[in-house]
Amino acid sequence: MSEAAAHHGPPQGFIRKYVFSLDHKIIGLQYYGLALVAVFVGMFLSWLMRFHLVWPNAAIPGLQLLSKVGAPGGLITPEYYLSLLTMHGTLMVFFVLTNAPFAAFGNYFLPIQIGAEDMAFPRFNMMSFWTTFVAFVVLLAAFVVPDGPPISGWTAYAPLSAIGKDAGPGLDMGQNLWGISIAIFCIASLLGSLNFIATTLDLRAKGMTLMRMPLSTWAWFVTSCIALLAFAVLLPACLLLVLDRVAGTSFFVPAGLVVSDHLQPHSGGSPLLWQHLFWFFGHPEVYIAILPAMGIVSHILINSMRKPLLSHKVVIGSMMAIGFLSYMVWGHHMFLSGMNPFSALVFSFPTLMITIPATVLTLIWLGSLYGSRLQITAASLFALGFISMFVSGGVSGFFLAQPSIDIYLHATYFVVGHFHLVMGVAAIFGVFAGTYFWMPKMTGRMMNETLGKIHFWLSFVGAYCIFMPFHYLGLAGNVRRYSSFVDDFMAPLMPVHKFITIAALCTGAAQLIFLYNLIHSRFWGPPAPVNPWNATSLEWTVPSPPPWNNFGGVHPVVYHDPYQYSVEGAKEDFIMQNSPEQVKTTVRS
Amino acid sequence: MNTTTTPNASGKSNGMATTYVVYVTILAIAVYQVCFAMMAGPQPMLMLALAILQASIAVMYFMHLAAERQVLALALIPYTIFVLFMMNMIWSDSVRLLHMRPH
Amino acid sequence: MSQANLAVDPHAAVMEESPFAIPSSKLVMWLFIISDAVTFGAFLFAYGYIRNASTDWPTPFEHASIWNALLMTFILVTSSLTILFAVRAAQNDDRAGAFKWTLITAGGGTLFAILHLREWSSLIGEGVRMFQNPWGAPMFGATFFTITGLHMLHVIGGVIALTVVALTYRAGRYSAKHIEIWSLYWHFVDIVWMFVVPMVYLLNMKR
Ligand code: HEM
Ligand SMILES: [Cu+2]
Repeated sequence: MSEAAAHHGPPQGFIRKYVFSLDHKIIGLQYYGLALVAVFVGMFLSWLMRFHLVWPNAAIPGLQLLSKVGAPGGLITPEYYLSLLTMHGTLMVFFVLTNAPFAAFGNYFLPIQIGAEDMAFPRFNMMSFWTTFVAFVVLLAAFVVPDGPPISGWTAYAPLSAIGKDAGPGLDMGQNLWGISIAIFCIASLLGSLNFIATTLDLRAKGMTLMRMPLSTWAWFVTSCIALLAFAVLLPACLLLVLDRVAGTSFFVPAGLVVSDHLQPHSGGSPLLWQHLFWFFGHPEVYIAILPAMGIVSHILINSMRKPLLSHKVVIGSMMAIGFLSYMVWGHHMFLSGMNPFSALVFSFPTLMITIPATVLTLIWLGSLYGSRLQITAASLFALGFISMFVSGGVSGFFLAQPSIDIYLHATYFVVGHFHLVMGVAAIFGVFAGTYFWMPKMTGRMMNETLGKIHFWLSFVGAYCIFMPFHYLGLAGNVRRYSSFVDDFMAPLMPVHKFITIAALCTGAAQLIFLYNLIHSRFWGPPAPVNPWNATSLEWTVPSPPPWNNFGGVHPVVYHDPYQYSVEGAKEDFIMQNSPEQVKTTVRS
Repeated sequence: MNTTTTPNASGKSNGMATTYVVYVTILAIAVYQVCFAMMAGPQPMLMLALAILQASIAVMYFMHLAAERQVLALALIPYTIFVLFMMNMIWSDSVRLLHMRPH
Repeated sequence: MSQANLAVDPHAAVMEESPFAIPSSKLVMWLFIISDAVTFGAFLFAYGYIRNASTDWPTPFEHASIWNALLMTFILVTSSLTILFAVRAAQNDDRAGAFKWTLITAGGGTLFAILHLREWSSLIGEGVRMFQNPWGAPMFGATFFTITGLHMLHVIGGVIALTVVALTYRAGRYSAKHIEIWSLYWHFVDIVWMFVVPMVYLLNMKR
């Protein structure tokens, strides 16, 4: 029922082809490129922070060029440390973890996996990318305004974020830009998720019933359903924040607040309201980041194990359960915010419940791996790495979910360790897995497997070296968001910090291998065959890279479940979804 | 799909008689709401219930959700209501900090 | 693929049936509407929160403003009726009628916006600002103007959209489907108002 698919002919000219392209594949690559830029900027910022934490008195030559006030002579001021931290978190959460696994891969592969020629609304699709791009530029503009980026963190907690420059640098223009950028980002996400949902429901090829969709498609679909309503709450939150800042209202600022000896001209608002609105979006957002990675990893693991997961339906059900529960738990970020302690109790219960579908998923992955002959490729290694990171990071969630334990752990490095493992590294590993798996399709060139495996081991070991000690630091009472720990009760922890910083610098440097591999193979890699991994889903039936209309004008017809591997009696050990080959397949739940 | 509409959305769409009844009902509820509020004071819960009543009639018969496949309503309505319902968790904080009471 | 194929028979044989059996663009309008409903919901919750948390919330609306709000309700609900006339006419291929009723609906929206702006200006004349008013909690103005302002933006956007749709429809480039889809949006604007009246006007009525 799409009116829009196939309404654009083959693109003509450079601008239509590569810039304002309507082709979902180009748009997917654009999102990927944007995320790649954002991730390297974000990583660079984290290097600066780690460096400053352990060598607070060592100047970083050239940094004064970035900000004369924030880094005079290359020395980062405590305030500028917070600016870097804010930009790091915002870039990573919004422009990397939301964009790469969801918007980039989703745009590229969702239509192909369901046998469609394009998204349901190519023009919307183009708009959503360019809107995201504007949001990105507006955010980065905070680096060049005189007072620099805001210092209120990626969560922009009020009242710090809602009052003006009295509270510190970056809280003037920088914070305005932040609010506007994220509001624009919300609109872009809305456009994107509308499109994803309509495409999935309406553009499936004949025979592609909902249950025959690959798990990656399911994950993108569930994610877009979450994003549809989650960003709808962040948008008003950002609008009200900007109003507080420019129109003098006080939604988020209480009466009688004195900052820098100035009585703030505000009254009647509540910082808790900001936290409620922000985390109402914020917790669904963490699942927006991780669900696509779960789908990608399932898709890849099945291919490498050459057998389906123990249950297709339970995986889908668990993803839906996660989506559903993700709206009920946001208060677990607010146990110590002054929220009603009774609410804390109420929130901790669904928080513990949400570990059930997560555990079910993990058990299905592990149970399916058990006894399978896994082919070790860079992609499958990263998929395994994803599970490892997800479990390691998820376990700490159990602790944080109890209000009484969280009193001790909140706002320490324990939380930093938790969410970097479970969200940051896990989702990025999902993206790496997807990249090694799908890049041949996207560029028509194979990536170098050896370099990929080296990249995996360095990243895997490196990520644990960085983020595991964070838990220890948190248990030892090391608070987060401080710019230095010298001459303090935390001074004895400095060796751990040094270790982490060195690990971070090395692991970051190891990503250059990936970058090299990506660029080198893009141009000089061996040409990719149509189906290099002997996979079954529809993206492997089209040329690498696919032509502008994906299936060359024919409509694929689907005859099989997505993961027909190791089928007895089949010609090969797998059956493509669109292969008319008839075999008796055992019915799987 | 450029020139026709789907049969079940519009073909089956209720006759104009239903539409007029709905129109009058919605206006009547609005008048009742206002008169009640003026005479007995606005009771938030009642006002809200009446608004929800108006809205559901409008969704079902003005927007013809009742005439679509039932699965559309099942996909849209419970999800939206669930999300809005969850927001009620914020109320307890809105009153207690006034006097800094624990709850 | 042959575009011709798609246009003649979009579904048969080449694609799975959409579970809802409605055009994609209509589905997208529905999805946008529920997303927007949650956005409005969040605004109303924020308003309720701020209102609960304050001790001197003003209740300034005289009966005259309430009657005015009721008149606005009448206009908006009636415009919901006229857009249904437009849809009905378009489905019966009465192009002139559909064009006429769509424009009448846009006219109703304009009237609504004018009445609303008149009310805004009289409130501003009484000294109500975003963060200041003669009666009590300064946040009154902030919540009032943001909620009704967002609604009015939707009305004005709807008026523009309906006008464009009407003109494009008359030019023959839009079909009954487009009018039907935008009628959904227009009804939604109406529904939001059904919540704004009791929450923003009736609860703030002079007692
Ligand atoms: C296994 C289930 C999980 C539980 C029980 C859980 C629980 C928690 C709790 C209670 C906190 C708040 C800690 C505090 O601030 O004191 C927290 C923080 C966080 N969690 Fe989880 N979590 C789980 C899984 C996840 C997943 C899967 C993700 C992401 C994909 C995630 C991302 C985050 C983030 C980003 C934060 C911190 C945000 C910040 O304060 O900056 N969590 N988690
Ligand atoms: Cu959370």
